[in-house]
Amino acid sequence: MEQTALAPAHDAYDSHGTATGVTNAKLGMWIFLSSEFLLFGSFISAYLLYKGRSHTGPKPAQVYDIPFTSTTSFILLMSSLTMVLSLAAIQRGDHRRFRIWILATALFGLTFIGGQVYEFTNFFREQHLSLSTNLFGSTFFVLTGLHGAHVTAGIIWLLSLFGLSTQGRLAAGDSEKVEIAGLYWHFVDVIWIVIFTVIYLVPK
Amino acid sequence: MSETETTPAGEAEVVPGGLELRSGAEPAALSDVPPEQVPLLPGEVRPHPTPFQYVMIGVVLVVLTALEVTVSYLEGDIPNGLIIVLLLVMMVVKFVLVAAWYMHLRTDRPIFRRFFTLGAVAAVTLFMVVLTTLHIWTGP
Repeated sequence: MEQTALAPAHDAYDSHGTATGVTNAKLGMWIFLSSEFLLFGSFISAYLLYKGRSHTGPKPAQVYDIPFTSTTSFILLMSSLTMVLSLAAIQRGDHRRFRIWILATALFGLTFIGGQVYEFTNFFREQHLSLSTNLFGSTFFVLTGLHGAHVTAGIIWLLSLFGLSTQGRLAAGDSEKVEIAGLYWHFVDVIWIVIFTVIYLVPK
Repeated sequence: MSETETTPAGEAEVVPGGLELRSGAEPAALSDVPPEQVPLLPGEVRPHPTPFQYVMIGVVLVVLTALEVTVSYLEGDIPNGLIIVLLLVMMVVKFVLVAAWYMHLRTDRPIFRRFFTLGAVAAVTLFMVVLTTLHIWTGP
């Protein structure tokens, strides 16, 4: 009797066997990304809250190198493009192009991180700005450092996919794994779009 | 479109790995599938953009970034309020382009868009309230 009553509900399930009709892995990634808004939002808010309230220098306008940061932002944007091209390639079963694009994405990410390391080093050595110098230093390094940590995790993920592909352990049927990694990567990119504008470009 | 609505692919055939093929596409030919027969990913309602469309979106993103940087250098020439509005508008456009095209929110099931929008709107609302409460808009 109970089984009869449950039958229509089971019929509503799709081929992925979930009540939502989508795979748990993909839905889980979207929910995770949704929660990440709150994490990054708190650090961006902290930066804005303390902006202009430092009693000692250096101040943002004295340290930012907009042409340099614009270049690294451009590189991160391009990494999003190569990421979707890698997904398009593996969906078509083109493993050679997939490996080229996924490696290009990881290399763009590494270049972005390299730029961030250079920027941090420059701020510390030339501008004498550290985590404990003033409120600007604290909020800036924590926010951009948090983002850099996310990019680093993404690079490891991408290189893992590249490694799996070279070993022949990533088939076209595994495209969803690439798509989920791509979702994370694009999210890191959209967060940088916000950070670049709000932190670097908005008038000081 | 509801989450349970059938895809334009019609009666999809499930192949190993969870991919759905449109009628007529052979799983054995995955390495040589015409663009209109690229397998649908789980949760995909309409086909993803083509690589050419991806590149075009990339070009738009680069142009917008260049415009943003240019506008930021107009400080002192035009009112700061106008600069901030222009920068925020371009930021939102870039954000939406990446989310809609690269993250496939425009072609995937609406449930993903709802979760993503919920998180974004909740975060913006929460922190706007917090910053307003702390009088950030009136300066130090």
